[in-house]
Formats: sequence, C-alpha cells, structure tokens
Amino acid sequence: MTSTHKRCKLKLFSFNGVLSMVHIWPIGGGKGGIGKSFLTGNIGVLLARQNFKTLLIDADLGAPNLHTIVSLHDSNRGLSDFINKKVSTLQETVHKTPIPNLFMISGARNKLDIANLAHEQKMKLLRAISRIDYDYVLIDLSAGTSFNTIDFFSISDTGIFVTSPEPTSIENIYRLIRSVYVRKIRQMLKIYRFRVLVQEAEAQNQDAIINNPEFLLAVLKNMEPEEGMMVEDTLQSFQFKLVLNQVRKQDNPKIGVMICKIIEKHLGLKIQFIGNVSYDDRVHDSVCNKGPFIDNYPYSQATLDLKTIVKGIMDM
Amino acid sequence: MKKPEDQNFYELLEIPFDASPFEINCAYKEMYQLYHDSSLASYSFFSNEGRAKILAKLDDAYSTLIDPKKRYQYDQLLIERGIHEGWTGYNGDNKPLHLISGSERPRTIQNTILKIREELKTMVSSSPMIQEILTHDIIFGSDIKRIRDELGVSIEMIVEMTKIRAIFIRAIEDDQFERIPSRLLLKSFLKAYAQCLGLDPDTVATRYLKRIKD
Repeated sequence: MTSTHKRCKLKLFSFNGVLSMVHIWPIGGGKGGIGKSFLTGNIGVLLARQNFKTLLIDADLGAPNLHTIVSLHDSNRGLSDFINKKVSTLQETVHKTPIPNLFMISGARNKLDIANLAHEQKMKLLRAISRIDYDYVLIDLSAGTSFNTIDFFSISDTGIFVTSPEPTSIENIYRLIRSVYVRKIRQMLKIYRFRVLVQEAEAQNQDAIINNPEFLLAVLKNMEPEEGMMVEDTLQSFQFKLVLNQVRKQDNPKIGVMICKIIEKHLGLKIQFIGNVSYDDRVHDSVCNKGPFIDNYPYSQATLDLKTIVKGIMDM
Repeated sequence: MKKPEDQNFYELLEIPFDASPFEINCAYKEMYQLYHDSSLASYSFFSNEGRAKILAKLDDAYSTLIDPKKRYQYDQLLIERGIHEGWTGYNGDNKPLHLISGSERPRTIQNTILKIREELKTMVSSSPMIQEILTHDIIFGSDIKRIRDELGVSIEMIVEMTKIRAIFIRAIEDDQFERIPSRLLLKSFLKAYAQCLGLDPDTVATRYLKRIKD
C-alpha cells in the first residue's frame, strides 16, 4: 500500500484527521417531494426505538421541515445559531424530541439567506458533525446537486439515496450519484491533480464530465494505473444504500435492484438496494397531523417497509 | 471491473461459460429489461448513442450464443485469445431443455417402467398358465398373486411402479377388502396393479369386483 493510499483512506474515514465512530448517514435524493424528510424522520424514530441514540440534522438549509415530521414545534435554537457563532458548539443546538433517544438539530429558525453557505462555514459545520457523539446521525439533505448538498457525503463513507419510481426522479438520482462520485474522486486526489485529470478527460471527450464521470476513472487509470486502482478500490468500499419511496402497486418492484445493477456495472460503485416503501395516501394525513407516520399508522404496509429499511441500514 | 465495452459475451450477459440456451435466454431478457429504450431503471443514464451501442452488443451476444454453430466459433475465438484456460467450448447438444432442472431422472424412470410393461405383456401372452387364469369368469386375489409370481415380479417392484403402498397390494392378493378404505379406491388400485403386470386393467377389475357386493 502506498503512502498516498493510506492518506486517502484516512481522509475518507475521518474527516480532517478526526476519527469518527458514529454512523453518519446523509440522506439525499435528486428531486424534491419524494419523501426524504419523511424517510429521515421515520427511520430516526425507528432507530431511537431500538435504543440507539439518534440525531437528526435538518441540512435542507433553505427549506427545512424535518422538525414538523417528528413533531418538534418550539425550536428556539437551530443550525443557523451554530453557523452564525451564536453558540460555540454544535451540541448546544441539539433539541430533545418527544421521542426518547431521538434528538434533532432543527433548521426551523434558519435565516433566509442560509442556503448560500460560505465555504468556511460549511467546512466548520461538516467538521462539527463528524465529531458529534451519537450512535446514528441522519442528515436530511436538500434536493439537487449543489456543493452544499453533496459535500455532506464527504464526511462519511456511507449514504442513502432516495428516489421514487418516476423518470424525473430517477433522472435526478443518477445525477446526484454521479455528482457524489465525482466529488469523491476529487476528494481523494489533490486539487491540482484533479484539475489535470479533468483537463485530460475533457481533451479526450468533450462532455465526459457531465455525461459519464466514469470516463474520469478510465482516464486516471491510463495516466496513473496505481492511483487509478486505489481510487477504484476506495469507491468500491463505500456503503451506499438505495431506497425506493412512493412505490405504487402498479410499479415494477424490481426497479431498485435494476438501478443498483446499472450503477455497479457502469460506475463501479456498489449501492445496496434496501427496499421499497409503499405509497400511502395517509402520509399526507400524518404530515398534516404533525406526528411520525409510523406512530399514527403502525400496521400499514409503509410502516412495515420502513422497518425493513432500518434493518438494511443497521446491517453494515 | 471491466467496462461493458471490453466484456466478452458471457461477461456481458453475466452467465457462466457452460450456460445452457435456457440460461442465455433468461439472462438476455433480464439485461434487455435494463437497457431497452423505455426502461425506467436506466432512464437518462445513457446517451442515445451509448444505449444503442449497448443494445447492439447485447443483441450480438444473444444471437451468437443462442446459435450452436456461432457459439462454437465464438468459443474457439475466446480459447485462441486465452480468455478461458482449459475450456473446450460448449459441447452444444441441440436437445430441448427441461424447464425444471432434475427432470431428467423421473423421465428415465418413466421410460424404464414402459419398457418393463412391454416385456411383461409379451410374457403374459406367451404363458399358458396366465392365459388359463384369464379365461375364468371371476378372478381371485390368489390368481393375481400367481400371475405375479409367474412373471417374477416382486411386491416392491409393484410399489415402486404404482406408488401404491405394499399393505394394499397384499390386501388385494389376500382378498382382504376391508383393509382398503373404499370400493372406488380398490378399483383404481386393481387397475393400476393389473396394468403393471401387463394385464388388461378393466377386465381384471370387473372380474375381481364381481364377487364383492358393495
């Protein structure tokens, strides 16, 4: 193993030298309205019920509403207080929720301009999250593929991708996965090395970066076989999971498996499909009643599906 | 990981080198589900050209491997390239494939049973003693036993061929009708048994049952 290899491994498993022992799960989906917050909230409740100290972070900076799903109504502190240095540690912004073992950092009182986080603020936040002491940290991300979203994937080697079985949503999940993929490669290489790589790749194929980032790896392997192998190995060691949400009866239940297969075949990224969550009209009612769905409808198919998914998350 | 463009047909379809035509069919269908034009799973993942390329290669792989002649040539090509050490190519027999694996065994048993039955039939027609018994208006259990002994067939063999339990076979031979649950069952047992011995099932059954009133 070369020294570069060691350095990169270390960098991935511990953000900036701090070894994190918690399971940090960023939860992302390319498109809005597919149930990221719904899943984050309910998975959090289920984990807490199994006696895991669980922290939910609403990192959907511009449009936070995770607090509504876990019925946390009076939040006087939030993520913005930490970012704006009103409090000195992230721990001070943590709220207890009505559910034992479940804690959350709310975004309810975020300032309106917080979505445009400066690089330094973001790094500070990411460092703080990777140091925080909980069994599980679930980060509810915003839709889209802005750096503010995908950088949350850089603090752990895990992640949950959420999509619904619709072309629009699948299109965006592929976009997100590719963005994370490129970001991870960038993270592993030094910045100037990455630039050289991108230039080389673009010289060979104009729109390679946008349309098939897998081309990057091929170019890298050509230029620096050893480094290329190392990056490929590291990419394969990630623990990504895929959840299909809002699956209706007429949908093909195998779509999730097929998506994972395509990604593994063409991106070399192992993503484990951990289950379908059935579409349920009552999710709407549950959100309107401002309580966790799994408590309001404990015997619905969707709740059973969520329990299966939690098993898939705990099984690492 | 090999890029799909560099994979050989077997790797592309994710099948072993000795895959049967049936497996090839299934693998192709599965892959087609991933890549066809309106596949939801790969929506937007590929450019149009990229998708067309993959589909063309998939078609190529399928049409080559499903055709024994083409497959043989392709295997030879792979062997020349040293892709698969010690592989001598698919020994492509053209036999239709059974859908359920392991169906080979029951089929051979069926064939043996048929063969035995044919042999017994000729023995029945050439044995004067059996012919004499068959002229009787009524047939007893002991008669059937005598025929069986004459043919040299053991009870175990009858059990194996008819799947009727030995106690029922013995009950028929010993005329112990009360040991058989119903008349209908007795009749069908008799028929199956008689057929096994190469006798005419209906004749034996009617003549045997004549004695029994309900």
